[in-house]
Amino acid sequence: MTNSVVQEQPPGGALQVSGLCKSFGGIHAVKDISFSVKQGEIVGLIGPNGAGKTTCFNLITGFYVPTAGTVHFDQQDVTGEKPYGMARRGIVRSFQKTNILKSLSVFENVLTGHYIEARQPVWKTFFPTAQVRRTEANVRDSAARIIHTIGLSRHMNTPASQLSCGELRLLEVALALAAKPRILMLDEPAAGLNSHEARLFGEVLRKLVGDLVESILIVEHNMGLIMSVSDRVVVMHFGEKLAEGTPAEVQKDTKVVEAYLGGSAKEKS
Amino acid sequence: MNIQRNCLAGFMLLAAVLPFLVSDQYILHVAIIVMFYAVLATSLNLVVGYVGEFSLGHTAFLGTGAYAAALLSTQAGWPMWATVPAAGLCAAVMGTFIGAITLRLHGPFFVIITLSFSEVLRLIANNWVAVTKGPMGIAGVPQPALLSGMSNLAGKHFYYGIAWGLLAVALYLAYRFVNSNAGRAAVAIRENRYVAQSIGIRPLHYSMMALVLGAFLSGMAGGFYAHYISFVGPEMFRFAFMVTMITMVLIGGKGTLIGPLVGALLVTFLEEYLREAQELRLSLFGLIVIAIVLFLPNGIMGFVTSRREKYEKKNGTTPASMPVSGTKRRSA
Repeated sequence: MTNSVVQEQPPGGALQVSGLCKSFGGIHAVKDISFSVKQGEIVGLIGPNGAGKTTCFNLITGFYVPTAGTVHFDQQDVTGEKPYGMARRGIVRSFQKTNILKSLSVFENVLTGHYIEARQPVWKTFFPTAQVRRTEANVRDSAARIIHTIGLSRHMNTPASQLSCGELRLLEVALALAAKPRILMLDEPAAGLNSHEARLFGEVLRKLVGDLVESILIVEHNMGLIMSVSDRVVVMHFGEKLAEGTPAEVQKDTKVVEAYLGGSAKEKS
Repeated sequence: MNIQRNCLAGFMLLAAVLPFLVSDQYILHVAIIVMFYAVLATSLNLVVGYVGEFSLGHTAFLGTGAYAAALLSTQAGWPMWATVPAAGLCAAVMGTFIGAITLRLHGPFFVIITLSFSEVLRLIANNWVAVTKGPMGIAGVPQPALLSGMSNLAGKHFYYGIAWGLLAVALYLAYRFVNSNAGRAAVAIRENRYVAQSIGIRPLHYSMMALVLGAFLSGMAGGFYAHYISFVGPEMFRFAFMVTMITMVLIGGKGTLIGPLVGALLVTFLEEYLREAQELRLSLFGLIVIAIVLFLPNGIMGFVTSRREKYEKKNGTTPASMPVSGTKRRSA
């Protein structure tokens, strides 16, 4: 299987997931999932509801500890690393259920996202040096830039609690971007966007790769977006990997079509 | 555009001028107590307002500081300029110890366990007679030698100066913490732990930082109080202090720097004003707190801020036209 081939030569500067398993009691949420995200790539992770996509995300980013399998990043074993550790290594995720800092403004949200960049030793918190002030000015500029890129400039100082659903999704992406990830992992970022907004969002994602982030791993149900934006698509079904390939290949795959539309009557009986 | 800093500076300036205008010992005493409580409320606010965990055990640090200062000066003969910072350090160590255990819990569990820690300390102070003299308390905590030749009024002025200095230190440290990357991290933890972790923040690190800083400040306040009142007893750990602090933070507005100051002023004056009606006092406070929580959940300062925002919006100061750099409008 692809599994063994990939394990032999892990490509550099990339995320490498091999044989990942997670069970909750008797339920195998994720079974033996292997795939990789190479530099400069947008990889789509799709599958019907309950396929284990979000669990996969949680396993990679350290919110869950895998039952078996490994996660390699930059050829280092990062399996079971804590979530904040993964972020510091350069893998930042967004959440399926919108998670932002509700009572802060858009700008403050994105500014807070610059945490890693603006980190200081404790004493410098209380006695800031010129260098600290410079860093603060830099992260403020960078926050404004990110908000502009993502297209929320109009709402720079709007409290996040007053944003529309679609804008919240964008803010979440901006917040993740602010942590300057190398690999950005987005969990259904286009949920709640209308088709026009989704298309614009796809263009934004395309621009991000190579500019602000190295690669993107994206879970999404909006097939139009996924197929137009991804270089490669990994399909999951009932916790297992069903198929992998370019969008065109995956769309033609009979197993994938079955998973989404149901098998024919003959096969079911 | 930094209203918060200007308000704090203005308040401290007013407080600095006051002793030159007032020579009434009673008013000076009330002012000293206001500043003492302002330090306590500020330190409690760091945990309650910024990390968002409701600590009921803040008296543990106040009491630790007070006992440390009292013991160091009566037993070891340390002068006051050494005992007060030492009291802060002792409380900070206590804060590290208690925080390392309690901050792993959240919500109601955190509330209960912090409360029990301060109760345990009260019991120790009450029963470890060899050191703390038990319920008798430590009386006659020495006054600084330089006060012996002075009049009572000059003594009050002296303590006023120290209280002012303590408050200045507390506000400076709190201001720096809040307006730094660390403060933003703490707020991120308060708002959403998952987001905080996903952007690289280790929650325990910053909740500890806020708690230890708060412990240090209230320890120094405790040390000051020990010298000023010149008596320390197990009452320092009593829940009554805690109630006063919480009332101040809630009324003033948690999560703002000015809130605890406003709360300390209001509550101390109210307490003095209602001194005649002891029984009524607590009931009245209870009603006020209920009203605040129901109608102004962000306290007086939260109310003021939201009014100002509405006003700005109405007058065409659209948020988009505000400069990006230096914006700290909602004073997180």
